[in-house]
Amino acid sequence: MRSSFFRILILALIIVSLGVLSIYSSTYQKEGAWQDIHKRQILWAVIGLGCFIVMSQLNYRKLWDANYFIYGVALFFLFLVFVLGIIRLGAQRWLRFAWFNFQPSEFAKLAVIIFLARYFSRKSVDDISLLSGKFGIFRGIILPFIFVAVPMFLIIEQPDLGSGLMLLLVFVSLLYLTNVRLKYIFTLICVLILPLPFFWHFLRDYQKQRLLVFLNPNIDPLGAGYTVIQSRIAIGSGGLFGRGWLSGTQSQLYFLPESHTDFIFATFSEQWGFLGSCLLLLMYYLIIRQGFIIAQRTQDSFGRLLAYGISLLLALQVFINIAMNMGLAPVVGLPLPLMSYGGSSVLVTFIALGILVNIDRTRSVF
Amino acid sequence: MERKSILKILIILMFVCLFIGLVNLDLLQGGKFRRLSDSNCIRLISQSGARGNILDRNGGVIVDSKISYDVMILPQELDQLDRILAGISRILEVEVKDLKSVFRKNYFSSSLPVTVASNIDLKKAIQLGEYKLEEPSIIVQPNPLRHYPYGTLAAHVIGYLNEIDRWRLTKLEDYGYKTKDIVGFGGVEEKYDYYLRQEEGGLSVEVNHRGKFMRVLGFESPQNGRDIQLTLDLKIQKIAEENLSGRKGSIVVLDPQSGGVLAMANYPNFNPAVFVNKRTRLIAGLFNNPESPLINRAISSSYPPASIFKIVVAAAALELKKINLSTNFLCRGSTMVGSRKFSCWDVHGLQDIIAALAHSCDIFFYKTGLLLGAQNIHDYALKLGLGRSIGFELPYETSGFIPSPLWRKINKFQNWFDGDTANLSIGQGDCLVTPLQAANLVSVFANGGYLPTPYIIKSVGGLELSARKKKMYRLPFKKSTFEIIRRGLREVVSDSKGTGNVLSGLDIAVAGKTGTAQVSRGATHAWFVGFFPYNKPKYAICVFLEHGGPGHSASVIAKQVIEAMIKQGLVEDQQ
Repeated sequence: MRSSFFRILILALIIVSLGVLSIYSSTYQKEGAWQDIHKRQILWAVIGLGCFIVMSQLNYRKLWDANYFIYGVALFFLFLVFVLGIIRLGAQRWLRFAWFNFQPSEFAKLAVIIFLARYFSRKSVDDISLLSGKFGIFRGIILPFIFVAVPMFLIIEQPDLGSGLMLLLVFVSLLYLTNVRLKYIFTLICVLILPLPFFWHFLRDYQKQRLLVFLNPNIDPLGAGYTVIQSRIAIGSGGLFGRGWLSGTQSQLYFLPESHTDFIFATFSEQWGFLGSCLLLLMYYLIIRQGFIIAQRTQDSFGRLLAYGISLLLALQVFINIAMNMGLAPVVGLPLPLMSYGGSSVLVTFIALGILVNIDRTRSVF
Repeated sequence: MERKSILKILIILMFVCLFIGLVNLDLLQGGKFRRLSDSNCIRLISQSGARGNILDRNGGVIVDSKISYDVMILPQELDQLDRILAGISRILEVEVKDLKSVFRKNYFSSSLPVTVASNIDLKKAIQLGEYKLEEPSIIVQPNPLRHYPYGTLAAHVIGYLNEIDRWRLTKLEDYGYKTKDIVGFGGVEEKYDYYLRQEEGGLSVEVNHRGKFMRVLGFESPQNGRDIQLTLDLKIQKIAEENLSGRKGSIVVLDPQSGGVLAMANYPNFNPAVFVNKRTRLIAGLFNNPESPLINRAISSSYPPASIFKIVVAAAALELKKINLSTNFLCRGSTMVGSRKFSCWDVHGLQDIIAALAHSCDIFFYKTGLLLGAQNIHDYALKLGLGRSIGFELPYETSGFIPSPLWRKINKFQNWFDGDTANLSIGQGDCLVTPLQAANLVSVFANGGYLPTPYIIKSVGGLELSARKKKMYRLPFKKSTFEIIRRGLREVVSDSKGTGNVLSGLDIAVAGKTGTAQVSRGATHAWFVGFFPYNKPKYAICVFLEHGGPGHSASVIAKQVIEAMIKQGLVEDQQ
């Protein structure tokens, strides 16, 4: 179906362009290398676009065959980060390549989704019904959880709590979409939630601080709470129509930290106001809705789960990031897909969208 | 329901949640956050204009403003601050340490510029202005301060400036006054504060998250206050103050033809500059001084008029035909009123009205007063502008007081006796007048029957006010009444035994009346009221010395003043 290809392509291109505009506005006054940052984002978007077109042509069933390989590569990179990743902003998240930094955790999110989609859509040899309906607690919950837990642990150790928890959330929601029994899922959730107070001791100091600050940003207005306070001011000061492009004082006079990455929504909202922000939300919603529509009309269970997984990944990232910008969620390092500056995120999102389009395209084959 | 539908609803709920969040931040709390955002990056640097000048009748400056320069910086991060302060200290040749401690002392909030040095001279201000090109966070602020070129001159007329107090603030809040505003206290500064007041202007500048100056957003130029021109004549004022010097009391010089105040000198006085320099110890000294130097004695305190009140009694008696030119009373040094003996200060023999005024014979006025009755004296005193406030333009004017039998009955539950009338006839007893009222009283006889309303404001902001002043009031007295009293007042000086004979040595003809007021404690108060030149009076004068001895000493001062005025060519005798 060509229509879903263009629909998703156009929406993604608009969002990416808005992202580039916001990145430009928040960095054009800084000196040196900052000046070119929007150009790099454009380059990534162009590469991402290429990947999108390639992926939309490449039959997604090939991922079924390659899923162990993909999963393996993702784990390999995560280990690599652990060993020789470069440290930036107090976290070891990036791998240095020729002229860019690569963030394997972004890639790992997609890899885990592909892996889970395949895992839950295997069929028995004699029967065409799905195996997942007959899974007991071990094969339904524990085994896939271990496969998720390994990359998750590696990501959380970087430390990148946001991406790690993202994997967990995607896992739980995919479980819910398969035929695994509800009571197993509840058991898993309980097992995860009950020892939380115990895990508190394993959190880094800054993570504890962020959680406390989320509950009350004013306990540390110049430290951990600063970002949230400034980001709320940035969003709120936009008002109905915004302050206009290049006129946002919060982001351009550096009151708002990370204004071109995790807090790009605040930058955008300050300049475009309530109306602009609503429009942006609407576009994200339309892309995600498109993903759900594709998932619903796909007969192939692998394709369906994959489409759900990709849509959920997008939806959760968008929600958590924007909620965090508004102070409705604790601050975790999580980019806003397609908007935030960062090659890995843009690239992976475009690839995921390409897969989504391909699932829709190949639907009729089966 | 299918699991996927539930999931879909969840996703929609997530977006609704974000939407509500946006509504809350942007629409409901948008105004608050806009303000917070502005206060993040906008700094206001206020610049005040100069307060209006106070000028004399010829446009000579009595009080103006002098520009001093303050150095301010925008609060910012420490390492930058150190660099900037080091630069400033190099130029001002002060220790960085000192600058830092001043900075710390004046630091109020991160959003307000901090003064690090004040009152620097022009040369250094220019050097700093050049340094500002490198460090735009420095602000060299011109700061007009009140300047008193003549020190204590006319201090009571002008008043002083100080930080607004609670009481004034509650009254003036609605007119745009704020806490910490500098407002006038006493005198013209207080009464005309609203006109003299400058309007603040200033810069709004944008700073970044480190407090570093980025750009100027807007500028509103400050407005200077309006100038106020007084009727005072600097030369006469100076003469009056020089001759009063050291003696407690007050000298008022009026233009009898209009009521304009030409000089109003008081002692003890004060230097308003101590309030500008914030010399706390000296200020406390002024407030605690038992001599109350801040009081404008010419209008704010009243004293028994003594013999100068005889003018009123004479006018009343002539007007009511109780006496005429040929009425004579015999002065034997004392007389009996009822069972009490009232004495004169001398033995004058047979006196008519003119001689009685000239010699200030008490016996004559006891008898005249008794003929008149207390109520008549009271009524005529009021007609001649005593016992009620003039409605003068400076604050804290007192009305003085003239007693009457009715007042005594109502307020003191006592009867009025003839002895009281006798006392009142020579201006003793409960009777009180201010020096300005006394000068105003004598003006009536100088100009031939018009009661002026003394005023001191000539123009405000270039707008002439004389047209709006109250017209002089023609007293419905007989012409002869004024003429007889005028003659009497002239005799006071010209008669060889006149109480003001000391003034006869002057080149011009002076008329007047002395007074010696008995007080319950201490030396007598000395009065002299008069006008000159006699034929075409240009000036009415009142010299009052608190506990200054006999009226003679006041006439001596008056003589010195008039002498000095003649020497300066202020009085042309057209005889």
